[in-house]
Amino acid sequence: MTHLNITATSQSPAVYFDETLRTLNITGECYPENITKFSSPIFQWLDEYLTSLQKQTFTLNIELVYFNSSSSKMLLDLFDRLQEEVINKQKNIIVNWIYDVENESAFEHGEEFKEDLTHLIFNLLKKS
Amino acid sequence: MLKELHQFKQQYDECGAILCFSGYLSQELMVGIGETLRDKLKQEEDINMVLKIFSIFVEQVQNIIRYSADQIIITNDKENILGSGILVVGKNQGHYYVSCGNIVGNDKISHLSEQLTKLQQMNKDELKQYYKEQRKKEVPQHSKGAGLGFIELARKTNSCFDFSFEKINGQISFFSFKTLL
Repeated sequence: MTHLNITATSQSPAVYFDETLRTLNITGECYPENITKFSSPIFQWLDEYLTSLQKQTFTLNIELVYFNSSSSKMLLDLFDRLQEEVINKQKNIIVNWIYDVENESAFEHGEEFKEDLTHLIFNLLKKS
Repeated sequence: MLKELHQFKQQYDECGAILCFSGYLSQELMVGIGETLRDKLKQEEDINMVLKIFSIFVEQVQNIIRYSADQIIITNDKENILGSGILVVGKNQGHYYVSCGNIVGNDKISHLSEQLTKLQQMNKDELKQYYKEQRKKEVPQHSKGAGLGFIELARKTNSCFDFSFEKINGQISFFSFKTLL
């Protein structure tokens, strides 16, 4: 599978795919000027990857300290894309929403996503 | 202009300004100002308050950059959008505030005003529902954001915001927007 490795900036997160663990990690902060420009390579990669994914489990670990409202829309689109795959193709997908216990808004945002994603395994995990 | 500088500074100080900026704002500039703002706030506040003020700051400044009627788009290697406006972040009588202003076309006023009045009248749960509904909608193809900025601002401030339009001429007005925490 083609690899995916986007370096973090102060306004956009690091995006890294670990092929052996089949885990996509998104870590940092997200408030770029143009969210579509930032996210389209990720969606493109995901489309390709999901086509090749069989019965193995794919995990998305997401740990964002802060993201703006346009990024929140992008995240929902991302989770929706994964949920579709679970509903329509019975894929094994896990999302881990990782938050710092001190950061209340990170937890609340995670909770709100979870409420709307009833067919997706969406874990809220305290950062250890 | 030399003497006025001191007066300007005094006026801002009286309003408890932590920082202010007038002129063309860009994403890059916002990131820089934002980092300084966070550093300053961290001295006095916990992470939740710092992130709350920062998120309000980002939504408001990105609104200026995206929607100011006085905008310059530079296309060199990469597109750079400059939006003209004014920004003040401060603390007055124990409450933080973020005030922003920019020029808007008069044709935008009625829609914007309607939208903001609607948000002011919503309670916490209604805002949450509305935010979720809007977030599910497709973003119009040429839209620069997701249209969630003002809802996010209303949620973060418990609808504690104010706005006004001052007519400049037949085409444009000055839009002021102030959030209070």
